Amino acid sequence: MSEVRACPTCGTELPADAPQGLCPQCLLAQGLKSSKGTEAAEAGQPPTTGFRRPFRPPTPAELAHHFPQLEVLDLLGQGGMGAVYKARQPGLDRIVALKILPPEAAEEPGFAERFGREARALARLSHPNIVAVYDFGQNDGLYYLLMEYVDGLNLRQLLQSGQLKPPQTLLIVPQVCEALQYAHDEGIVHRDIKPENILLDKKGRVKIADFGLAKLLGQAPLDLRLTGTRQVMGTPHYMAPEQMDRPLEVDHRADLYSLGVVLYEMLTGQLPLGRFVPPSQKVQVDVRLDEVVLRALEREPEQRYQRASEIKTDVESVQHAEPISEGPPALLLGRTPELEARVVEILRHDKIAAIRFFREATGAGLAAAKEAVEWIGRRRSERSGSFQSARNADKNSLSKDGLAAARQTLLAPALGLMLIGALNCTGLAVLLLSTIRLLSGGQFTVSNLGAQEAILLSMDGLLGLAILWGAWKMVRLKSLGLAQLGCVLALLPLSPCWFLGLPVGIWGLILLMRPEVRKHFPTSS
Amino acid sequence: MLAARNQAAPQAREALAVLCRTYWYPLYAYIRHRGYDVHHAQDLTQDFFTRLLEKDSLATVDRDKGKFRSFLLAACKHFLANAYDRAQAQKRGGGKILGSLDFNAGEGRYSREPAHDLTPEKLFERRWAMTLLHQVLDDLRAEYEQAGKGSVFDRLKSVLSGDSDVAPYSQLAGELNTSEAAVKMTVHRLRRRYRERLRQEIAQTVGNPAHVEQEIRDLFAALRP
Repeated sequence: MSEVRACPTCGTELPADAPQGLCPQCLLAQGLKSSKGTEAAEAGQPPTTGFRRPFRPPTPAELAHHFPQLEVLDLLGQGGMGAVYKARQPGLDRIVALKILPPEAAEEPGFAERFGREARALARLSHPNIVAVYDFGQNDGLYYLLMEYVDGLNLRQLLQSGQLKPPQTLLIVPQVCEALQYAHDEGIVHRDIKPENILLDKKGRVKIADFGLAKLLGQAPLDLRLTGTRQVMGTPHYMAPEQMDRPLEVDHRADLYSLGVVLYEMLTGQLPLGRFVPPSQKVQVDVRLDEVVLRALEREPEQRYQRASEIKTDVESVQHAEPISEGPPALLLGRTPELEARVVEILRHDKIAAIRFFREATGAGLAAAKEAVEWIGRRRSERSGSFQSARNADKNSLSKDGLAAARQTLLAPALGLMLIGALNCTGLAVLLLSTIRLLSGGQFTVSNLGAQEAILLSMDGLLGLAILWGAWKMVRLKSLGLAQLGCVLALLPLSPCWFLGLPVGIWGLILLMRPEVRKHFPTSS
Repeated sequence: MLAARNQAAPQAREALAVLCRTYWYPLYAYIRHRGYDVHHAQDLTQDFFTRLLEKDSLATVDRDKGKFRSFLLAACKHFLANAYDRAQAQKRGGGKILGSLDFNAGEGRYSREPAHDLTPEKLFERRWAMTLLHQVLDDLRAEYEQAGKGSVFDRLKSVLSGDSDVAPYSQLAGELNTSEAAVKMTVHRLRRRYRERLRQEIAQTVGNPAHVEQEIRDLFAALRP
């Protein structure tokens, strides 16, 4: 009875109580679209438009009439951004892609001017990973772009085929980052990064398409464009939060968010919705990719990656998994102690923040920074014996420096116990000495001891020995039970040293109750 | 909301009552989600609305920030926080002004909702958005039904969620026994009417017509899974 249906427009699952069986998000989105530019349009910002009629692309034959200089071969596909055809330039004998923009788009005032501007900006982009623009113009009211033809498929098709594996993802993403970084350096934001716009040619090269077209075609934040084929659809899911809330303040970091969504989808096959699960918990991928994804998907642009090249570095460092060395990482040689101190401070609260700080301070890559921060953490905990940094370091180093720290802590009470034990033993020692003297025919140097006192002294001595032994076991972390016994004996009023033994014994017992100390003792079988 | 503020007391109260009658479910669900059992929640809901309509609490709502939805939620929280008021709820009859609310349907709807790990406040926003859309679409359908075009609405309604691929126009023309051009026009009108109604309904709940766009964006964000 409860089959899960998906909205044909945006692909999200329809809730059980969907109004009239329609997708609530799409309904709201459609409500946002206003009629042609009459609603508030900020100066210079293209008004929000909706393509209210489905765009029926002309057939190749019809187009030939408009483009006599081309041989228009096939319709490759269509989306809200128009229709794309495969064509041939007879003179140059090369295959090109001809993109026709929807005629409705051209009806806006100032479109021609904007089109020219955008096309010129796009033409400036010359990068192996960006689909090149050869020419653009307007033929009988039909706006067109002549572009590089990419013989391959797009990322959406690849995702749908189920053939995409993490190693391939890690090869694709850096190329996308390079393209984005290049474009951002040229001052161009894509605004519509999604799998449909990421093309892959037969040689495995990535080509990003439709750069800047989103802005050109007046993409409203919730402009769900119509399509004939179901595959290409502008879903809001790839859009950065600020693209929806504050569309005027969008900068290149919105592209980085979209890339984060795409990356997540490539790794897990699903969109990161709501409280999503980190990729490493869904599929078999390196845990370090989690941080990349999470950081790219930060809601606040300030918290996100600031440059595409940073994402590339991080992804590549995961790819070439570097082994963690034991000595001080090369990065730390020659660094100031202040840097280290600051790292330690942050490390007390949040390891990821400490790594981030270190990276910002030194420009290091993710893996190297992680290694450095962990090393710093280990060093500090061994020095000060504090448990705070030990808690933050990862599991392996935790047991190592936790051990040292535990020992450190127990040292003081153990010494106290040993002192008490020793004091108790002095009585015994005196007794023994005297006995020996007695046996060898001498006399007591101390006043004669009666039998009772002798017994008392021996008991004290035994007690002292027991305490000493317990203290030894404690400081060596050999036996919890004996250590505790030593403490208990010390605090019992059995000897004149009791006034000293009481506080030390209690102190020792308290310390031995702490889990971070206890766990270093062998568990009794 | 606009009517409620600008006009004299009885009309204001009626307008407010209409709003309350429309949007009671998200509030009821909120109260339920806060942990109150069915009966207690019913009493509280009734009582809350009664108080709302009796006291002229609308006067305290800031003119410019007038989002009825936020106001309602804040008032409800305040109401629930006041233990004395909660205890009193059991004794009141309530419901005189509001008319009887269909709590059975409400509870049924509540129990059919899947488990969420969102906060009650976030859920309130979501339910509000859903209730709003339900209201708009139901009213729109009723409009078409009255004009004898209920089946047309049903066939074409998916264009309202942006689906242009419901069927090619030529096929629709055949089904609806009309021309392609007429179908195009109908679709266009349907969309336009829907948008009008949606914006009207939202305008009822925000103080300022300029805030409608923002409210749509906020509701969209609230529905983001």
